[in-house]
Amino acid sequence: MTEPRAFSSDGQRYLDGEPTETLAPAERASADRLTRAVTAYAANLRAPDARLDRVVMRRVLAEAGPTHGGAWRWLLAPRMVRVRPAVLAIAAAAVLLLWWVSARPAAAPLVPATAARVPDTVLVRFELSAPDAHEVSLAGSFNRWEAPGIPLRRSSVPGLWTVTVPLAVGEQQYLFLVDGNRWIPDPTAHAQVDDGFGRRNSVIVVGPRGVARS
Amino acid sequence: MSERDGLADGEIVRRILDGETHLFEVLIRRYRTEFARYATALVGDTDQAADAMQEAFIRAYRSLASCRDPQRVKAWFFRILTNQCHDQRAKLRREVSLNGQDATARDRADAGVERAELRAAITRALTQLTPEQREAFVLRHVDGKTYEEMAVLLDTGVDALKMRVYRARDALRQHLEHLHD
Repeated sequence: MTEPRAFSSDGQRYLDGEPTETLAPAERASADRLTRAVTAYAANLRAPDARLDRVVMRRVLAEAGPTHGGAWRWLLAPRMVRVRPAVLAIAAAAVLLLWWVSARPAAAPLVPATAARVPDTVLVRFELSAPDAHEVSLAGSFNRWEAPGIPLRRSSVPGLWTVTVPLAVGEQQYLFLVDGNRWIPDPTAHAQVDDGFGRRNSVIVVGPRGVARS
Repeated sequence: MSERDGLADGEIVRRILDGETHLFEVLIRRYRTEFARYATALVGDTDQAADAMQEAFIRAYRSLASCRDPQRVKAWFFRILTNQCHDQRAKLRREVSLNGQDATARDRADAGVERAELRAAITRALTQLTPEQREAFVLRHVDGKTYEEMAVLLDTGVDALKMRVYRARDALRQHLEHLHD
């Protein structure tokens, strides 16, 4: 007589190492044969060893560059910056504020000229239309994705939530958190990237001279 | 064990993002030790598995800032690695069909006949499984992980994982029975 091809539930439990009350000898033999084959397979598996670590690390360090500093790389790396008029106004206000602070007489030491020319943070306004939401917040690489994040406020426009936050120069990824349990990408972001879990993060690029965000 | 080897994954990610790139080596060692066998069994070839792991680590490094929950970076990396292994395996299959020789044939050539036969049977049988069944079976039987550990890595329920492993066992059983017919 031919054995059934599928293991019974007892057979499956036996293969999981659990006690089984009754298991037909033929099925037990079949399960043992499978276990022996897999054990032989696993015992002879030749997996990548520590040499791999060194190869990968060499590549990583080559990518990181001599400073290994993320912020410096972003400051120094050339990139295309597209500026939205509304954001430009905010950025211009920030620059004016910096100019006013550095120009006024003060006993404190002057800010180095290079630092004044290259602001390392820019005020960015985030908006989300979510008429049915009870609360909306913002989280991203700039706050280490810590929920609940930065709360948005209802604006005078019905259903529109807004917040303005200082962002460091560089690329940031972010999402909105709606009602504390729904992560939503920014529909107006210029790019969305895979987060490695099959979902998408929104991307914003803040440059020394403005913000790229469509 | 050095101090940095005792750091939690989340702390390492935070410090790498703050510029301590050298700490990435701790994650490489940690995850290579844990997932190298998984990658090899998934791809079906040691050298190709090494390539897949290398690319997975580089991809993870480049997109580390997108890891929303640094405490779960292991599961995040595992997903990247699994995708890379499937890609690598697809590439390997294309090459095998061009070269006319496969890894199991090489196995048979360099090992004892019976042991190589069993190993080759499992290698061949693994190729017949769906990607999800293969992932689950390898984690359970090659890596010896519990269903609960698998659920964390694969972000899938225990019952669903058991079903994948059961189906995989049934398929492998059929394959082995053909071998002994």
